[in-house]
Amino acid sequence: MKLIRLLAAMVAGAATLVLLRRRPGRLRLDRTLAALRLAVRGGARYAAGAPRLFAAAGEQRQLLREDLALQTAEDVAGTLGAMKGVMMKIGQLASYVDDGLSPTVRHTLARLQDSVPPMSPRLAAAVVAEELGAPPERVFARWDPRPIAAASIGQVHRAVTLDGRAVAVKVQYPGIAETIWADLRNVALLRRMLRIAAPAQDVDALLSEVRDRIGEELDYRREAASQRLMAAYYDGHPTIAIPGVISELSTRRLLTSELSGGVRFAGLATWPQHERDLAAETIYRFVFRSLYEVRAFNGDPHPGNYLFERGGRVTFLDFGLVRHFSPAELQPLMDMARTICVEHDPEAFRRSLENAGFLRPGAPLSTQAIVDHLAVFYDTIREPGPVTITSDYASSVARRCFDLRSPVAGYISVPRPYVILQRINLGLFAVLGELSATADWRAISEEIWPFTQGPAATPMGEAEAAWRARRQAAAA
Amino acid sequence: MTDTADLYATATGLIERSAAGYASGVPEDAADDGLFGPASVTWRMSADLASPVAGLRSLLMQALHPLAMAGVDQHSGWRRDPAGRLATTMTYLATVTFGDQAAAIRAAARVRRIHDHVRGTDAVTGRPYAAGDPALLLWVHGALVDSVLAAGSLVGTALSAADSNRYVAEMVTAAELVGVPRHLVPSSVPELDLYIASVRPTLRCTPAAAESMAYLLGPPGMDEDTAEIWQDVRDAAIAALPRWARQMYGYGAPPPLTPSRRTEIRQSLGVLDAMFLGQPGVLEARQRITLRMRGGRRA
Repeated sequence: MKLIRLLAAMVAGAATLVLLRRRPGRLRLDRTLAALRLAVRGGARYAAGAPRLFAAAGEQRQLLREDLALQTAEDVAGTLGAMKGVMMKIGQLASYVDDGLSPTVRHTLARLQDSVPPMSPRLAAAVVAEELGAPPERVFARWDPRPIAAASIGQVHRAVTLDGRAVAVKVQYPGIAETIWADLRNVALLRRMLRIAAPAQDVDALLSEVRDRIGEELDYRREAASQRLMAAYYDGHPTIAIPGVISELSTRRLLTSELSGGVRFAGLATWPQHERDLAAETIYRFVFRSLYEVRAFNGDPHPGNYLFERGGRVTFLDFGLVRHFSPAELQPLMDMARTICVEHDPEAFRRSLENAGFLRPGAPLSTQAIVDHLAVFYDTIREPGPVTITSDYASSVARRCFDLRSPVAGYISVPRPYVILQRINLGLFAVLGELSATADWRAISEEIWPFTQGPAATPMGEAEAAWRARRQAAAA
Repeated sequence: MTDTADLYATATGLIERSAAGYASGVPEDAADDGLFGPASVTWRMSADLASPVAGLRSLLMQALHPLAMAGVDQHSGWRRDPAGRLATTMTYLATVTFGDQAAAIRAAARVRRIHDHVRGTDAVTGRPYAAGDPALLLWVHGALVDSVLAAGSLVGTALSAADSNRYVAEMVTAAELVGVPRHLVPSSVPELDLYIASVRPTLRCTPAAAESMAYLLGPPGMDEDTAEIWQDVRDAAIAALPRWARQMYGYGAPPPLTPSRRTEIRQSLGVLDAMFLGQPGVLEARQRITLRMRGGRRA
């Protein structure tokens, strides 16, 4: 009865493959699901080694195998249907990988990403034709049938518009939006996955946030709107560049932007430290100017979304994961930074944490313990003077985010509007750490903070001040 | 019944080893297209999302044969080492399906040698059994083939009538390989149905079947969330059973499989599949298969 025995084992296997104990006495879903914890907590460190995961997965896919290309909508459904697209998206949201996660987990999520081949030229052209009413060779003066990059649920083609502009066209996989919508509707399964993956978190808040953010990314028109908003705000900026959207060639499943030049992150890493510092300063300014003045945060600050030129000029790509904030949502963040960094008032800092919902009111903790626990997030900006952000620092920030052993951790939670901002702590610092970037981050922050409006702290700050003055003059 | 700690011990490495087994069975350089070939229905169905459902349903069907069940009960060590058993199964199935002919024949010869030692007497019927008995092998075969079709049409890829017949006909070779004379093996869906109906009077749910299947359907120690995902797989497997088989086990009529319920089940299956795909070598093995199938289609 070898066969039946083997089959018995196979099903027993299937039964037990979902079982892997994560803590004594408890069996838990396999680590793939545990990986979702990342997603949800915002992900953690992207440091040495990790860039090969999500950050670069997209770029690697372009090298991938045209021989495996998805040829039909059925191929797309088979590859990304039945929760796989959703898991991949959640994994991508988690591109900054948690220290606490095993290499297997990271590997699993990366593999899921890698398992998606590009569309065949014919399939991509069919999407263009459906969206614009004519095949790409007629809608564009030139169309490169081979993708230059993979996007999360699509791929990017180079083209030249009929009026001669070089553009990058992001083409969404056919049927993917419908599939992911259907999968996002299975709230019960999503909740189970999140609960298994993130036992310490408020699953309902996470679930809503994850569903909203993924759902938004399915409609490229929303991304186009965010990109236009950013492009309009940063128009004329000395070092921050946002590719313009070609609206008439952009739809729900197509996003056509001006084609940008520059080197990738790996190229920047070979430049002198001075250039890396400038690039880091631009990234830093972009993140916090966007947050405080555009009230928007691009939740995807990973190296694959930047193009670099000498002198600190950075082009920012991919606005699929932008969260917009209300003034009321931003206020507590400013209060926290002001009370701890500027006023050095621990009690007021504690109150601002409670008001924002980060800290349970009346927690039986000394204020000093709270400050000690959270101060690491403000280490680079508590005092003026140049500070080098190292990979070690980025790791310690990430570890603190996931530190559940501290007595303080039990009273801390991240309210829904700020879930995505964890990626400042995780993604941004990881990128800056990777660059070993040095700057007077405090002085730069003072330039940007609405409650300080400090003087230009660097040459880039002076150029930016001049740009702001021009903007205000133009608006007046 | 195994306790939680033992189950953990046995579960460790299970997915890794089974995946490794699967990947190792899919050759990098096959000398030929094997017993089925890239254009076969067998190849197409082997990667179906419904495979776990087909596997579970197969077992539920196979266990109803008292002598087959007795052989498992008295000789199987799968509870002690499910990871090892699963890995062996995956390697065997992958080798027979995707390996070249020589590899498939070697794998089957190994299975037949092991079968030679599996003999005994069924405590319930008092009848002797031998794993090499073509009648038992045929039941195991028929239950598997029937389950792949049933699970596919319920929650996976539903085959056309012509492709279903082709699949049954292709799989005759697999039965022959383990020692069933070719002329005894059903080679079309109607023949398969007749065969299953002919065996049905000898089937029953023995205590051994009831106990081991209860274990599979509700493995002990699962937390609530995991159990709910597994529930989708078992619901589908039970829904895919013939009514008489459900009645033998005493399972109630399954809730109707609405389109939305079917979608939910497929979503759970997708999660399982993603776990498997995450294991080393699995993606490459699937890519090898895809490439060969595309080559096969063009040829």
